[in-house]
Amino acid sequence: MTATDRVDGRPKVTGAAAYAADRHPAGLAYGYLITSTIARGTVTGMDTTAAASAPGVLAVYTPFNSLGLFTYNREQNDEVHAPLRDANVRYYGQAIGFVVAETFEQARDAATLVAVSYDAQPSKTSFVDNLGGATPPPSGAPTVDVLAPEFATIDAALAASEVVVTATYLTPCNDHVAMEPHATVAAWQGDNLTVHTVSQGVRLVQERLSSTLGIDQSRIHVINPHVGGGFGNKWGMWAQMPLAAAAARVLGRPVKAALTREQVFTIVGHRPATSQTVSLGARRDGTLIAVKHDGVSSKSASNGFTESVASTSLSTYATPNLHIGRAVVTLDVPVTTIMRAPGESNGAFAQESALDELADQLGVDPLEIRRRNYATVKPDNKLPWSSKHLDECYDLGAARFGWSRRNPVPGSVTDGDWLVGMGMATCTYSASRSSASIKVRLLADGTAVVAGTGADLGTGQSTVFAILAAEVLGIPVRRVSPDIGDSTAPTAANAGGSGSTSTNGPAVQLAAAAARDALLRFAVEHERSPFHGMTDVRYENGDLKAGGLTMSFGTLLSTADVPAVEATATSPRNENRTVAYRSFGAHFCEVRVNRWTAEARVSRWLTVVDAGRIVNEKTSRSQIVGGVIMGIGHALLEDARMEPTGRFANANMASYLVPVNADIPPIDVHFLDYPDSTLSSLGARGIGELAIVGAASAIAGAIHNATGKRIRELPITLDKLLT
Amino acid sequence: MHAYDFVATNSVDRALKLANPDSAFLAGGTTLVDLMKLDVMTPRHVIDINGLDLCGITANHNGLRIGAMARMSDVANHSEVANRYPMLTQALLLSASGQIRNMASVGGNLLQRTRCDYFRDVRTPCNKREPGSGCPAQTGENRNHAILGTSTACVATHPSDLAVALVALGASVRLRGREGVRQVPLDQFYRLPGDTPHLENQLRPGELITEVLVPALSWARRSTYLKIRDRSSYEFALTSVAVALDLRDGTVHNARIAVGGVGARPWRLPAVEDALRQHRPTADHVQAAAARAAEGARPLAHNGFKVTLMQRTITRAVLNLAGRR
Repeated sequence: MTATDRVDGRPKVTGAAAYAADRHPAGLAYGYLITSTIARGTVTGMDTTAAASAPGVLAVYTPFNSLGLFTYNREQNDEVHAPLRDANVRYYGQAIGFVVAETFEQARDAATLVAVSYDAQPSKTSFVDNLGGATPPPSGAPTVDVLAPEFATIDAALAASEVVVTATYLTPCNDHVAMEPHATVAAWQGDNLTVHTVSQGVRLVQERLSSTLGIDQSRIHVINPHVGGGFGNKWGMWAQMPLAAAAARVLGRPVKAALTREQVFTIVGHRPATSQTVSLGARRDGTLIAVKHDGVSSKSASNGFTESVASTSLSTYATPNLHIGRAVVTLDVPVTTIMRAPGESNGAFAQESALDELADQLGVDPLEIRRRNYATVKPDNKLPWSSKHLDECYDLGAARFGWSRRNPVPGSVTDGDWLVGMGMATCTYSASRSSASIKVRLLADGTAVVAGTGADLGTGQSTVFAILAAEVLGIPVRRVSPDIGDSTAPTAANAGGSGSTSTNGPAVQLAAAAARDALLRFAVEHERSPFHGMTDVRYENGDLKAGGLTMSFGTLLSTADVPAVEATATSPRNENRTVAYRSFGAHFCEVRVNRWTAEARVSRWLTVVDAGRIVNEKTSRSQIVGGVIMGIGHALLEDARMEPTGRFANANMASYLVPVNADIPPIDVHFLDYPDSTLSSLGARGIGELAIVGAASAIAGAIHNATGKRIRELPITLDKLLT
Repeated sequence: MHAYDFVATNSVDRALKLANPDSAFLAGGTTLVDLMKLDVMTPRHVIDINGLDLCGITANHNGLRIGAMARMSDVANHSEVANRYPMLTQALLLSASGQIRNMASVGGNLLQRTRCDYFRDVRTPCNKREPGSGCPAQTGENRNHAILGTSTACVATHPSDLAVALVALGASVRLRGREGVRQVPLDQFYRLPGDTPHLENQLRPGELITEVLVPALSWARRSTYLKIRDRSSYEFALTSVAVALDLRDGTVHNARIAVGGVGARPWRLPAVEDALRQHRPTADHVQAAAARAAEGARPLAHNGFKVTLMQRTITRAVLNLAGRR
């Protein structure tokens, strides 16, 4: 493990790093979105007279004066309807208009002057009230059953169990609230479009814009070197992107469209609400006989994404009988989409909490019951794991955290007015390796550039590019410049599915080696090279050596009067399906609950991680800490509250609560660092989503240990603990 | 945000002369600019009063005088305030963020508008913002709303922590308008919403708060401000309490108690103060006294927990202040 500073750390903290909204090309005009104020129906009219004549206004686009966008050709977990194509309203806060003006303030002011009339239709917006109307998901099997030969149904297996616990768990809608709101700056040069935009993958933007604008992908240049957080909400394309591009084309000048914080809550998707019922059947020693996990998720009528929340039970604990069920409640609400560990973070809250309830009923320690149900093969398909050291995470974590000091009797540990409890949970998330191409360019100034589309959402992906190329090239990291988030680069992995490093990392290694080989060929074959015609040329730590001659690659290229030597390499998709791939870890936490006022505060945390090779300990640690912090928000604070009107009642950062520094204790992170050589020669799995999984259940378990109260509905706010 | 004209002045008289029904005074701007961006406040004229000489803080045997333009952080960092009125310092330090406290004035703090999300969203009705349009909070999302002093027209809370502590201490505000100077006790300054929730206080059009006056109260040295919220910082109170105890030989000789986060205005609790007087602050007795805080409470669908939480908040603060658990 190395611990390397972020290569983009200094520009970020000094403000030199330009994000999408920081771009101000000459002649820039500013767009502002108008959004709907009903949940379902039709816009019957929009009076734009006053807005169109307001100071500085260049254009007002509506469904009745649209931008002529074509329908999207495929879904990316996002809105399936291109904006302003029709007058239908499918949710409150949908884009129904776009005002462009000389300044942002003029556009915003004019937007308030547009009078909208609607024909409102009845709408369904409440998840809980409509649970009775749940239906099978639009794609994927509604149920998966893996049963031992002696049982015909999961209920028969439960009936044959010595002990059964059954409980229902509820989780609310969550929002990503990435620090950087969504912004796009679009500028045309003739028929060519340049787009600076938020995104988790420039290729995704290029494809989608190509289809909706009706131009060839090769004419679209997407640039996105810095992203201020994504968590899934910059994967898809949201309304500001095509509106800015289309308006810029019509107006013949660059247009910026940035969502307000309030608009991000509805124009951009959210994590669905879920209701999950889990039944665990076990022997008296806690060994599982049957696991039944039925999950229902909210789903927007405006897209097809569904959170397969029960699937987490297919991967975690050994059981001879397993059932998962998937269903959705389709609602007239903003788009439901992926958010950090989609499915798994909500799924693990239910599954891990149910296991705690079983342990509690049997008088077995929560950690011990997890050891007794350790899955040595993947529970659903019985494949062996590529690499799994979760047992070591448990052992090492318990020792490091002092788990043996946990008193199993709730309420028995106090500190002044505070009841103190301990909890733990398993975390696990899928791992994979897709195909990626990377170009490495060695320059005459002695530096190297590593280029691939990708995206660095603050994860440290750019730094991983630099570290891995520097390692192969044998030069210091500071001499490597990552070039990430530019659509003209070779196609690398988008930032999603915790797959950036596991996919792009091996490609960086291959490309760096290919560039080194190309340099060696150049040294021998180029007529101005001092090594020309020599046979024993070697490359060592940035230098070429042969005979008595040693020369850095920069000097070689300068001497030969050549600007650079480069190579592109592609790392293929992993095709080994004989094993199962997951990242693993164990959370341990201490939570305090005030005996009078019942607020819960997390006071200690440890996560032990088994995620293959850790390329950069420093940024990896931040990924785990970030996941835990988001998990603390998931557990204790975050709750996007839907009103009957379809309006999110708290769509702002003062009312939708995410943790602040004062909520977060020191977080101890320990990496096992066992390379997963089955997944790739690099041996890295994923860490981006892993740590939010299980965090909420660990907290709920600690609260139970502190108070004796088992809270099955997130967030665990003080009103649920007061009674 | 609509277009407006802007003028800055360093003269109180000129500021008062410039004021008209379509104008707003700009102090720290942490409320006004925020609400102008949301179109909740739409003044045609903005009068910048940051140049007015209303900044001093003086503490003497009569008590404390705070200039209305003193910043929250100026008061929070004042050692005499911390010595003599710990609840004031604590209320300030538990408010907002360091950056906001550096900008926000004391006068502006007392005049800040409610955080009701319907008030702040011009796409929804709100009787406070648009009289007669309705109050969605009565039946909508009302977890953060008030349980005391509300009406069928408005259930918004007053958001200021500082005002709760000042009401407990019996503070007054000095007001200056074109017709002269007057002084109003803070607990009479704020109006109950009734059927006119858009009228929030006794300030006349064009009038300025120039000073806050806190009477001397020797036993306020034993005082505290406890604020309960979902997250540990940067959030308005679910419930809060300002408590001062005059404790003699283990008996409560006198007490001051006001609560926040629960009232349409900062809410003094004389019945709880009475119940505490002349008793030893045992857990049982303090809980019984705190129960009286709920008299007249009108909980809504989502904020019923505030009745219990308010009582527990008072109990916790009083017991801690009395050195008991």
